[in-house]
Amino acid sequence: MLRCFVVSFLIVFFMTGGAVHSADADPASTPNGTFRPAEHAGGTLKLTAQSAPGSADPQVNYLAPMLQVEAVVYDGLMTFAKAPGPLRRHAVPDLADGQPEQLDDGRTWRFHLRKNIYFSTGKLLTTDDVVASMQRIFKVNSPTAGPYFSHIIGGSLCLHQPKRCTLDGGVVADKETGTIVFHLTHSDPEFPDRLAFGHAVILPENTSVNDTGNNAPPGTGPYRITSYNPNSEMRLERNTWFRQWDALAQPAGYPDHIIYRFGFEPESEVTAIENGQFDWMAENVPLDRLSELGQHFTSRVRLVDFLNLYYAALNVNTPPFDNLKARQAFNYAVSRRAMVIHNGGPAVAIPACQMIPQGAPGFEPACMWTKGASPSDPAPEWEKPDMEQARKLITESGTAGQKVIIVSPQTPGYLAMANELRSTLARLGYIASVRSMVQAVQFPYVQNSDNRVQVALTGWNADYPAASSYLETLLSCKTFHPHSDNSLNMSGYCDQGADLLMAQARAVAVKDQEAGDHLWAAADRELMAGAPTVPLAQVRWVTLLSSRVQGEVTAPIYQIIFSRFQLQ
Amino acid sequence: MISSSGQTTAGPWVQATRALISNRSAMSCLGVLLLVILLCVFAPFYAHHIARTDPFISNVAGTLTVNGQETDIMQPNDNPLHLGLSPIGPTWHPRSYLLGADSQGRDLASRLLYGGRNSLLISFSAALLCIIMASAVGISAGFSGGVIDIILSRLMDIMWAVPVYLFAISLSIVTITQGLHIGPITISSNSLLVPIFIIALVYVPYAARPIRGRVMTLRNAEFVLAARSLGVPEYRILLRDILPNILPSVIVLAPLLTALALLAESSLSFLSLGVQAPAASWGTIIQDGEGLIYTRPMVAIAPGLAIIITVMALNIFGDGLRDALDIRETSRRNG
Amino acid sequence: MLMSLGRRLGQTVFVLFGISVLIFAVFFATPGADPTSRIAGKNASPETMERVRHEYGFDRPLPMQYATMMKKLFITRDLASYTNRGQLVVPEIIQAAPITLSLVSGAALIWVAASVLTGTLAAGFRGTWLDRGLMMAGLLGISIPVFWLGQVANLITQARWHDTWMFSWVPGPGYIPFTESPSGWFRALIIPWMVLAVMFIGIYGRVLRSDLVAVSGEDFMRTARAKGLSPSRVMIRHGLRTSMITFVSLFGLDFAQLLGGGALLTEVVFGLQGVGRLTYQALSGLDLPLIMASVMYSAVFVVLANAVVDLVYVALDPRVRDGR
Repeated sequence: MLRCFVVSFLIVFFMTGGAVHSADADPASTPNGTFRPAEHAGGTLKLTAQSAPGSADPQVNYLAPMLQVEAVVYDGLMTFAKAPGPLRRHAVPDLADGQPEQLDDGRTWRFHLRKNIYFSTGKLLTTDDVVASMQRIFKVNSPTAGPYFSHIIGGSLCLHQPKRCTLDGGVVADKETGTIVFHLTHSDPEFPDRLAFGHAVILPENTSVNDTGNNAPPGTGPYRITSYNPNSEMRLERNTWFRQWDALAQPAGYPDHIIYRFGFEPESEVTAIENGQFDWMAENVPLDRLSELGQHFTSRVRLVDFLNLYYAALNVNTPPFDNLKARQAFNYAVSRRAMVIHNGGPAVAIPACQMIPQGAPGFEPACMWTKGASPSDPAPEWEKPDMEQARKLITESGTAGQKVIIVSPQTPGYLAMANELRSTLARLGYIASVRSMVQAVQFPYVQNSDNRVQVALTGWNADYPAASSYLETLLSCKTFHPHSDNSLNMSGYCDQGADLLMAQARAVAVKDQEAGDHLWAAADRELMAGAPTVPLAQVRWVTLLSSRVQGEVTAPIYQIIFSRFQLQ
Repeated sequence: MISSSGQTTAGPWVQATRALISNRSAMSCLGVLLLVILLCVFAPFYAHHIARTDPFISNVAGTLTVNGQETDIMQPNDNPLHLGLSPIGPTWHPRSYLLGADSQGRDLASRLLYGGRNSLLISFSAALLCIIMASAVGISAGFSGGVIDIILSRLMDIMWAVPVYLFAISLSIVTITQGLHIGPITISSNSLLVPIFIIALVYVPYAARPIRGRVMTLRNAEFVLAARSLGVPEYRILLRDILPNILPSVIVLAPLLTALALLAESSLSFLSLGVQAPAASWGTIIQDGEGLIYTRPMVAIAPGLAIIITVMALNIFGDGLRDALDIRETSRRNG
Repeated sequence: MLMSLGRRLGQTVFVLFGISVLIFAVFFATPGADPTSRIAGKNASPETMERVRHEYGFDRPLPMQYATMMKKLFITRDLASYTNRGQLVVPEIIQAAPITLSLVSGAALIWVAASVLTGTLAAGFRGTWLDRGLMMAGLLGISIPVFWLGQVANLITQARWHDTWMFSWVPGPGYIPFTESPSGWFRALIIPWMVLAVMFIGIYGRVLRSDLVAVSGEDFMRTARAKGLSPSRVMIRHGLRTSMITFVSLFGLDFAQLLGGGALLTEVVFGLQGVGRLTYQALSGLDLPLIMASVMYSAVFVVLANAVVDLVYVALDPRVRDGR
């Protein structure tokens, strides 16, 4: 039944072309229901990135480039579809042989493990590996252990004493029948999506409980990492134990080898791909190369939609943005058209006016901060700034003339946006300046309430398609941790009403996804009325392929699927 | 010394000045230098006539009129995918976007002038500050000798051992994050004092060494030994005998240090560690231009040429000064 | 001699100690530099932060953390980076060193050859247009910012004229190991070599010229000329050999400094993964172990080179020995 669904889905998808816009018709992906890794299999895929993507431990690393590599090396019980499709598509079964059974109003989830799956070492996958991997999330101090998995029964104990983590009563497995049952302390409609995220991949049970660093543990995917040196390159080759079980969850790989080299400037990488020295680069194409690519390499450019948002967090506990009118004025005054231009123009960016990005579940257009709109009467989309309204609000707030510092990462794209915001604030009568820091410092710096950052410019990508990734993670009362470098609610904003709506949305979504999404949209409007942030823009990811690459290589969550590259 | 025509004795300073004035290449470089300085320093008085936009406010959504036609400053590209926007290129029209716009739609020509103000201000102040600090260090080390000399020299070694940029980068990261606190004085992070201080500090060992060496030679010179044996107090020896005699070495250092400081400033700003946005310097404009080098190379090339012209003029003038003061070339180190 | 050697060694250790303490202190004085949250990952819960802080020892007193780090760096050599956690920093630097060595020695060859040529020619044709032209070109070389020159070189060879016969042989940016392809190694490095060498050609040519001019007034040069040797022979056989002393000691210091990471800007612009770029990367990611290791590495080079040059002076020149 599920198979049928997957197959028909693929057909529908390939007919429509999905969310991916490419100008060339791709002969290799003619729909016949399954992928045929026949004619273009083989060859060495050459990838490049500016810097190494961090630890090779899949349960620790949170950086997108490594998650992309791990997508073709590891599997979880669930995964995200490795094919183009709508942004809001939820997780699909991977090592589980079907969608999980939901009991107890979403407090209990029952999975059945697929049979005859082997790790790249030749070891058979069993439920023991699943249980051990879930424990390992805590033992290895995975960043998502707290936010995503501590509601498994026994999870909060594991969080405090990882060494003695058992998850007794929380993860119950039956090795004979191959069932795994998760018991949660409260209902969670997003649990399958969380299991699909990279940190919940299944590793052999004897994997070390320390960060494995440069040594990638064995996985079940079509490739295995044979060597990794963050200062030069990573090499992957086929996992000979891999047999394709589901082309949507984990398709078989085309290239025989993958070489990923680090340490080149993005400008050089573009040139190298144009000249055929590499097939793909991890970074977005630099903006000044876009016209060149659009002109001469049209068929090799892919524009990928993904869930992201650039925004400025306003500190609601420090003047002047402890004043609601000042925050609203800032929101009215920002020219989001300029933000779009700073991000490469209308072909690759759209103005953002709310915290949930377009395409995500729970997104319902409601722009309060455009000319003629108001919190009680939102417009369907942003049109132009309303300087009169903004000036009026500033006068009422009495905050004009105060000093405001915008803290921005030091990359050119962010700096351009920060300078635009500075100009806007100056027009509103503030004495505004920009302070830039290397991104590695800026991100923890702006989160710590001790640093009293007034405006923090930042961006956010979703781990999985859910409104909670934006609203709950970035703006709920419980994600504000004063005096900590890890407090994603940079605004320090707490709206009990919005929190209540979010809790309701969760509870309702267990039974009725659509009704839940409406409640998320309501929470979004409630939060935006308080204007704790200034949403700026949502971008599309521009990537360039070498001339020898064929095939549909993009997917919403991972953005790119290395196993799908067919090399001529 | 009696001049050949039998006139009264000309002092060494007068002689040096005459030698300098008769050096044509040095004087023409001084002219170039003064021109650059005047152009940049008085930018606020006429730059708005050139740009007619604020060079510090981004203007990506703006338009301008060229030859009676209204065009966008950020011009959309008519490629099949409508990808990308390019800032307007040089119009060669002196009253609007003479050299084109940068990626934020700001007038490049007027930013060059304002950037030059900062670059020059930083390099001259840094050179001055460096000379003051280096003289203090060099004189104390050279004149006192002994333990003080050893400690100061090793401290200089520490600073010199860390390659110039690494040292500057480490300092910049700290100061840019939280500003600089020297006792009760706090320098905010986007103040120009931060790069001035960093560059001055970085080149102290470079300037202190020759000064120390000169002081050590002088300390053992016959006239100093004679003064000492006559019981002249040390501070008088320092003021009357040592200081005037190291002045030429210090003066010769000045233009060379300024040139070095200008290069250092541009490198620091290029690595985003010098002047902070929205203020500009030639280095930050080169960095802005790095992101446009394939579409609008002028943004990176123009400030580079400005740096080369200024540094070259400083170096040639410094050469002339050295010849005039008759001091042998000291070796210099890179960064 | 032994005494001064021992004293010098003691001072060198003191200098290195000073540098390491400075870096350590600077790092922990920077707000936002606390590595805990970066190691724990975004969105990590307070409990996870606490565990990471404890496991990495960030909750211990600073002097103890310093001692641990030094022990791991110099004795057990298992200090690992904070950003790429499996990466041991000592092998990382050892891997970057050959790239820097390739870059710097190639550039050194070019700048020594070119500066000897220009310096000698200028001194030989002193006062002529050739002299003035060469020295002016040297000044121009000194005045060009190296990163800008590199960028312009990239623009020309990688983009504008890459498809023409002139530069189609230039490989993409980055390093090609000699063992992989000797010709690729050469083609990848020839432009960085020239860019890096330009400034040094200027400096060394000028230094050599002024030394040669100074030396030509000395008695032994006059004697040689009086013996009837040709002027060019005198210049090359006698003058050059004498002037080479300053030249070589200057070269020693610069070479050591570049090997230690001083070629940072060139490495960054051309995407060469050498020691300088590694340091820059470490600094922009505020990765303390890597910063510590790479700065100590470069400091060792520079301090040792200084010490060697000083010692050679002491051994050769009795006046300096008395002066110390």
